[in-house]
Amino acid sequence: MTSVSMAASGHDHLPASAEEVFRFGSFVITNSMIMVWIVAALLIIVAQLATKNISLVPKGFQNFIEWIVESLLDFLGGILGEKLARRTFWFFATIFIMILASNWMGLFPGVGTIGWALSGEAVDPHDTFRPFLRGGNADLNMTGAMAIAFAMLWFYWSITETSLKDFGAHIFAPKGDFKGVMLIGMIVIFFVVGLIEVFSIALRPVALMFRLYGNVYAGENMLESIMNIVPIAGLKWLAALPFYFLELLVGLIQALVFTLLCAVFLKLMCDHDDHDEEHAH
Amino acid sequence: MTAPFFVLLAAEVPESGGMLGGLLKTFGVHWSLFISQLISFLVVCVVLKKFAYGPVLEMLDKRRARIADGEAKLEEIEKKLADSEREKDALLEKANLDAKRLITEAKDSATALSEQKANEATSQAQIILAKAQEAARAERNSMAAELKQEFGRLVVATTSQVTGKTLDEHDQKRINEEAVLSINN
Repeated sequence: MTSVSMAASGHDHLPASAEEVFRFGSFVITNSMIMVWIVAALLIIVAQLATKNISLVPKGFQNFIEWIVESLLDFLGGILGEKLARRTFWFFATIFIMILASNWMGLFPGVGTIGWALSGEAVDPHDTFRPFLRGGNADLNMTGAMAIAFAMLWFYWSITETSLKDFGAHIFAPKGDFKGVMLIGMIVIFFVVGLIEVFSIALRPVALMFRLYGNVYAGENMLESIMNIVPIAGLKWLAALPFYFLELLVGLIQALVFTLLCAVFLKLMCDHDDHDEEHAH
Repeated sequence: MTAPFFVLLAAEVPESGGMLGGLLKTFGVHWSLFISQLISFLVVCVVLKKFAYGPVLEMLDKRRARIADGEAKLEEIEKKLADSEREKDALLEKANLDAKRLITEAKDSATALSEQKANEATSQAQIILAKAQEAARAERNSMAAELKQEFGRLVVATTSQVTGKTLDEHDQKRINEEAVLSINN
């Protein structure tokens, strides 16, 4: 295994999936997993540093972390309400921070461009380069893990915030005050609408995982393609430079979109209960 | 050059395994990788919750409570200050009124005392004057008496010398009375 840069090896497209870097028995370590571990380690170190000597009068790095936490809590509180935002904050804040950190760290020089050359008959002639690192969200396993985790938690939070009966009623029960034949008709209609809603709920994690993956993968692919256009190795970065700024923005927007959609999906299910509470008040 | 992505997708879809299997293979989705990424994500969630969100939110709540407490105390202090100001103003007003009343009383008292003292002084002076007049009168009377006696004695002595005889007691008394009578007249 020889360490080389992308430019020195054959790599004319970014593979759609994360690639194997190490293997322990049957367990594969991919370049995307390594990137996620680096991001996770960095976030944990940052969290430790920020809260190591936490004080009532904030200073230095604590200020920055408090700003992030407070801004996110305000943002989520505006969507979910104070109580639900605090309850689910650990998940939504981590989703946002993790996606943002992964997206931006995926733009670091060396990510996707430093690796080794592949050789042998089984190697795809269009892909003879294997990078050590790959953007964390350019792997459907990672975006899928986050989306599926949200889907599971969505069920848990929705049921515990309302009740199993309300949960079912929210999806299938007719909305409005109907009587007689109208009620029977509405029950049938809302049952069909409920089935569509169930289908929509089932598709949500798929949409979430593919949206994030697609945007990040497309961004990395675009950067790599732009760099491949320039024939001079030392100037490849220059062509891609404007697109790095675009990708910084895309990284932030995608983190916001994923977090916002998750929060809105949860709010849609828990909103029913809030209205009841408001009426009760 | 970069091959179009859909061409790659088509090329990587296996002949067997169905559409979903082909899709998962194309995107490299595998249970072991999926679970590994899920564990990584959940570990970050748990660690950040314990070491970042927990302490930071607790600190924010504590600070918010302190600020609210401080604000409440400030309001209480401001209220107490206002009450104190009012009390001070009331006390000052009362003190002013008392002082004015005392001054007026003192002035009245001083005027009364002054008048009293003046009256007393006048009385004393009148008494002294009366006594002096009395004393002067007594003195004059005494002097007049002495003068009369002296005058009588001189008249007797003169008479005695003029007449050349020794006047007895009866003559002396008579001459004296005559002399005094003539003086009084």
